[in-house]
Amino acid sequence: MTIPPFIWCIVLLWGLTPAIYLLGRIGQQRDESPGSPIARWAALAAMLAAWIPLGMAITSFADGPARYTLGAMALEFDGLALLLSVLAMALGTLAVIYSIGYMAGSDDEEKFYAMLVAMIGAIVGLGCATDLFNMWVWFEAMAITSYLLVAFYHEQPGALEAGVKYLVQSAAGSMLILLGIALVLLQTGTLDLSEIHAAAVTSPALLSAGGLFLIGFGVKAALVPVHTWLPDAHSQAPTGVSALLSGVVIEAGLFALLRVITALANVTSDWGVLLMGFGALNMLIGNLMALRQTRIKRLLAFSSLVHIGYMLLGFGAAIYTGTLTGAQGAMFHVFNHGLMKSLAFMAAGCFLYVLHAAHSDHSALVADDLYGAAGRYPFAALAFSIALLSLGGLPPLAGFMSKWQIFVACFNSGNAWISGLAVFGALNSVLSLGYYAPLINRMYRKAPSAVIENGPESLPLSMLVPLGLMALAIVMIGVWPVLLDWLSMPSGLALMAALSG
Amino acid sequence: MSLSPVTIIWAGVFCLLGIGLYGLLAVRNLIKVIVALQILVKMAMLSLVAASYSVDKLALGQSLAVMVMVADTIVAVIGLALAVQVQQRLGTLDISELSRLRK
Repeated sequence: MTIPPFIWCIVLLWGLTPAIYLLGRIGQQRDESPGSPIARWAALAAMLAAWIPLGMAITSFADGPARYTLGAMALEFDGLALLLSVLAMALGTLAVIYSIGYMAGSDDEEKFYAMLVAMIGAIVGLGCATDLFNMWVWFEAMAITSYLLVAFYHEQPGALEAGVKYLVQSAAGSMLILLGIALVLLQTGTLDLSEIHAAAVTSPALLSAGGLFLIGFGVKAALVPVHTWLPDAHSQAPTGVSALLSGVVIEAGLFALLRVITALANVTSDWGVLLMGFGALNMLIGNLMALRQTRIKRLLAFSSLVHIGYMLLGFGAAIYTGTLTGAQGAMFHVFNHGLMKSLAFMAAGCFLYVLHAAHSDHSALVADDLYGAAGRYPFAALAFSIALLSLGGLPPLAGFMSKWQIFVACFNSGNAWISGLAVFGALNSVLSLGYYAPLINRMYRKAPSAVIENGPESLPLSMLVPLGLMALAIVMIGVWPVLLDWLSMPSGLALMAALSG
Repeated sequence: MSLSPVTIIWAGVFCLLGIGLYGLLAVRNLIKVIVALQILVKMAMLSLVAASYSVDKLALGQSLAVMVMVADTIVAVIGLALAVQVQQRLGTLDISELSRLRK
């Protein structure tokens, strides 16, 4: 049996992880300075090399999903896997390029890049898993690498606290997932997702398994009552990692949740209602908490909660009514949110870089530090503004298009409650401008703050290139939303196919 | 009604679940929190083996349990490493102290 290209993508990423670490270590011993230049370029080379098999997998995707079976383990490159792997690889590559400038000269650079590449490999694998337990293993691999990345600045109390909180909540969640897996195995006698779909009937054990999955994967996807780790972890991690955590990792948790919920679709028809309920809660709590924040990265972390809310609304409507538009819109929003939130975090990271260069400590970036940023750093300020306006859902940017599609799907359902939720979502979108707009106002219309005035003359080119690419992509997708149909269409179809079995 | 071994095992699973969750919520010492997490891990492994025994796929359950051991050992190691860092940098293992010191 020939090995399909998407397997090589995972194998390359995981196989090159130790190589990045070892090369970085060797390079470090040679020149005695902190940081490890070889690790940076090795990580970039690994990411670019993994694009080759992924590109082959994408071009051969039209021939039907590739499947690879090894013993009892099966991996399938279906629509969901396509979206998740393209998103993870695109943002991962940009985060590596960004970190070349941002992380230059920090201690343990080689560990940072090795973990980053391993995390992206785990996310690609998570997308491809067709088996409950296999999915758990990828999920756990992703979680373990992200614990290490969140607690990367381990000399700072804030990062340690974030790491402990994240580890305890996430590990407890994954044990609940395992209990759910055991209950599913007990009731259906199988772990394969499509066989579970066929064998599942309404029973208390499967209902409680579904509830356990909702809590367990919900911790990673930041559903509201179990989201408390997210603002700490996303604001304390190094910026490149924050961008990936917000842009890909929580979405990967959401995708895992969607896979198990669609497999348990026959147990009850209320999964969609539950998702929409959590969606409304996420939007409201996320917005109210974000309005109170003065630290930029914490504010962006709470805004991730809001956007998870929009995705849950779209997926919930799609699962409840069985319509494709909602699923497609939510998939579109997953990709757009990845771009927008990564751009916002990376642009905020530019100002954080300026702050560290000016103060040479690790204090947090607060909103008042942004005063007059546009005068000295026009490019980063413009990119940050594009990201914030797109997150707030202003046309003609990408964020507007996907929110629009989700709301249209809700109204098309003809159900008064779902339409009401769409109105609630639109109002929340307006509310979110209440914390995005003042940031832009601060950058463009005020005299420079002390931080901006003492900052370096210019930012490293490697930090500006990803900003430019992502800002361009957001504007392009906003003007021509059909550009992403090749991703949102198959992933929406794959979700619907999994739902109907 | 006589108690079958499987019933006793499931009772054990839910006892461990209760103890583990109680420990996570009630305990303030970081090391004890990690012990509570380990109790949850044992709950998960026991439930996987019990479920696979009931559906006559014992080999599957055992291989899953071994895999869980591998994954959870790494989590425990990272948790303990964080605990060491917390003790060294902040001089305390109390998790409520930890959130207070951040400010």
